[in-house]
Amino acid sequence: MFRPIRAAVVTALFAVVSVSAADGPQVKFTDVKLKNGLRVIISEDHTAPTVSVAVNYFVGSADEKARRTGFAHLFEHMMFKGSENVGAGEHPALIFANGGTMNGTTNQDRTLYFETLPANQLELALFLEGDRMKSLDINRANLDNQKGAVQEERRLRVDNQPYGQTFEKTGEQAYDNPAYKHSIIGSMEDLSAASVDDVATFFKTYYAPNNAVLSIVGDVDTKKTMALVEKYFGGILRQPDPKRPDLAEAPHTAERRSTIEDPLARLPRLDIVWIGPPAQTTDSAALDVLSDVLSSGRSARINQVIVREKQLATSAALFASDSKGPGLITAFATVAPGKNPAEVEAAIYDEIEKVKKGPIADWEIEKAHNGARRNQAAQVTSTLSRAIQLGEYAMFFNDPNLINTRTEKILKVTAADVQRVAQKYFTKENRSVILTMPKAAAAKGER
Amino acid sequence: MTRHVCNVAAAAVLSAALVDAQAPAPGAGAQATKAEGTVYKNKAPVNKEILRVSLPKPKEADLSNGVHLIVLEDHRTPQVNFSMIIDGAGGYYDPPAVPGLAGFTASLMREGTATKSSEQISEQLDRLAASVSVGAGISSPSATVNGSGLTNNLDTVLALMADVLMNPSFPQAEIDRYKTRSRAGLMQQRTQPGFLASERLNKAVFGDHPLARVSATPAALDALTRDTLLEFHKTHYVPDRAVLAVTGDITVEQAKAKAEAAFGAWKKSGAALPAQTEAAPLSGPTISLVVRPNSVQTSLRIGTQSIERKNPDFFALTVGNRILGGASGRLFEHLREQKGYTYGANSGFASSRIPGSWTASTDVRSEVTDAALTDLIDEIRQMRETPVTEKELADAKRAIVGSFARLLESPDAILANYIDQHFYQLSADYWDTYPAKIEAVTAADIQRVAKKYWTPERLQIVAVGDLAKVEPALKKLGAVQIFDAEGKPIEK
Repeated sequence: MFRPIRAAVVTALFAVVSVSAADGPQVKFTDVKLKNGLRVIISEDHTAPTVSVAVNYFVGSADEKARRTGFAHLFEHMMFKGSENVGAGEHPALIFANGGTMNGTTNQDRTLYFETLPANQLELALFLEGDRMKSLDINRANLDNQKGAVQEERRLRVDNQPYGQTFEKTGEQAYDNPAYKHSIIGSMEDLSAASVDDVATFFKTYYAPNNAVLSIVGDVDTKKTMALVEKYFGGILRQPDPKRPDLAEAPHTAERRSTIEDPLARLPRLDIVWIGPPAQTTDSAALDVLSDVLSSGRSARINQVIVREKQLATSAALFASDSKGPGLITAFATVAPGKNPAEVEAAIYDEIEKVKKGPIADWEIEKAHNGARRNQAAQVTSTLSRAIQLGEYAMFFNDPNLINTRTEKILKVTAADVQRVAQKYFTKENRSVILTMPKAAAAKGER
Repeated sequence: MTRHVCNVAAAAVLSAALVDAQAPAPGAGAQATKAEGTVYKNKAPVNKEILRVSLPKPKEADLSNGVHLIVLEDHRTPQVNFSMIIDGAGGYYDPPAVPGLAGFTASLMREGTATKSSEQISEQLDRLAASVSVGAGISSPSATVNGSGLTNNLDTVLALMADVLMNPSFPQAEIDRYKTRSRAGLMQQRTQPGFLASERLNKAVFGDHPLARVSATPAALDALTRDTLLEFHKTHYVPDRAVLAVTGDITVEQAKAKAEAAFGAWKKSGAALPAQTEAAPLSGPTISLVVRPNSVQTSLRIGTQSIERKNPDFFALTVGNRILGGASGRLFEHLREQKGYTYGANSGFASSRIPGSWTASTDVRSEVTDAALTDLIDEIRQMRETPVTEKELADAKRAIVGSFARLLESPDAILANYIDQHFYQLSADYWDTYPAKIEAVTAADIQRVAKKYWTPERLQIVAVGDLAKVEPALKKLGAVQIFDAEGKPIEK
């Protein structure tokens, strides 16, 4: 009935895994596919009487068609509005009333739904997830209703926040490929234009069992859980595999730059982004270490030099995203009162040039390696974070065991690797700069 | 590793706004048709049995200097967390003229000791992926020194933690840097509507009491000297009433031996801690408007004084508050699901040795300020005037008791309960009997506490937003005090 797709991992379920302080505990799991293509990953953990269920659908804002921006996220809202056997809003109400938590979230690459419950409510979670995958209630009232909800969410998170418009402009300016160019929450015009037919087509195309990964972690019995999974998901029909969006970004030939005026902000803010590599590549591991050298902890260079010594910024950081496609490497700084944003920008480039030229101290690399070990150890406490990671690694990289092996990739990174990726990605042509000025200040001091 | 996943829908759940999104005319929301809200088909296979758990008991011991040790072992991962909680070193004990002094002291303790610079401490910790931090809440009675790391680095972490706790040197250069950085922070927080709302509401609820404080002031920061810091540290950072809470891959015996070695030199002061006093009783309702130019939403808050942690009404207020403002509660259901005014609406309360605050909150688009405020007030009124339904009561109790199972995933969350038990002197069987006390709450109990604490005479209303759109709505309710985004009264 279930087709094992990673025999080695299935076997590992019964193997005794030794745990050393350096390696951290390993996560054991089974990984099978139902006949309809639904990939099911189960990891038993009997240390607490809880269970987390995550359903990852392989659809995000990168899949959106032209003039339908924000659709993946709008659709996420629709998933709580009822299905054949579940009333509108009943899903969250039942989870909460039984001691659980739940939510949904959308990014560029995927849409994720999850719940954590006392372990004796496993069947409830599987029933609820199965029913909406099978029979979402799509109607005009629910759709209009959710457009309103998303409008309020947009006001709260973007329109009423200092620097809210900056975050939206960042991707727009940095990318040419439409996949990652537009914001996840989308434009109000596009959202308003979405029709019931659009929603129905989207559901049929992307919310198919063969386009999803169900992951379950916690105090469960794998065999009994598989029987429940078959009961609630087995009858859902497979659909043709959706076409994946082309995420590739053609090389850029010139720096991009703009200034925004923000009436809600009081201090200038600088956002510099570079197009980076996809996650879980050799380059991304080296960039993770690079961002630790520049920005992890108080000892990191950007904090020590730009915030502490030169006092050019009140806060500043650099981080690399974790995307299926070419994600952004972002540096931002809140410019200290009275300081010149151009000076802050130059200071950030100085620190990057120092990484390119070297040297990078042994302790800085050691810091990144130990950070990876600590993360590996920390993941064991939450069933939900394991369920989400197993699902995402399976979906994006066809390798849920990355949950156990990703740390190794970081531990292999050397100072030379860090310098190589710094030279490769931190070029002037590859960067996009946005300076956000408080509106009143910008009017007074035109520079 | 740093992760940046853009979760614009991190809290996206559901809504039922029947607003015509294609033609959002001004005020359209105010005329929105009422939607149905949650529909129960009752077909889901709910396990009727509540999974009952008993929380594992921590092991306790006392160090020779009076520090009380509480340890919850967790050997799943090779790491340990230490928290030294120092009663008497929090912002509650700030001198009235220097609000924020406890916070300044805590922040600057990490910036250098008698033998180590700030950079040396950072470098030593970061290379081990360990951490030491110090924090003091602006109105909390206690400060906390935290240390955490992998088990094999434990001795280094503890030595640094003890050094930061006992020997901070408060270098003048670090004080100067801190002042510059913090001034910008004090300015930046005024861009956040939530901050402006808290600042005004806490003043309305607590007057001049320390619980009214939400932030340090620029004047206090300007007046800060090294001597003030040294004096506050010497007087307030004493082991007499401190608790060392430990979770992780360590036994109580190991923790005790290592703590004696690290903190043994920390000597008792023998001085008594001044008792906390309750805020003056509320003298009547007030209505305040904080003007935030360019706001597209109104942040609405209704607040009052709540109860002390040991008050027997705690259980009824916990269940009642959940029905009103908890997950999928009435505020969410009516203001978001049915009316579509907002992305979220909730309520909550704080209790410590003295009564804290109770607050109902929602941020609504400016055009529906009047209707949303009317509904918010009405939801509170209904809690006073009508008993909650049997289903609401049963669901809320199940939710609270059922959620105990999830605590078992997190030793730190369990230990937090036992720290409360220690500081608030709750009974030894408090957490064992907690579920039964929740289950004993009746609809009449909830109505009684709603009438007692949520009376109109006690409720303080605050709105942050656009003057022209908010003032008319507030004026209908009574006299309105108006403030600017700096917190200063505006005379009209």
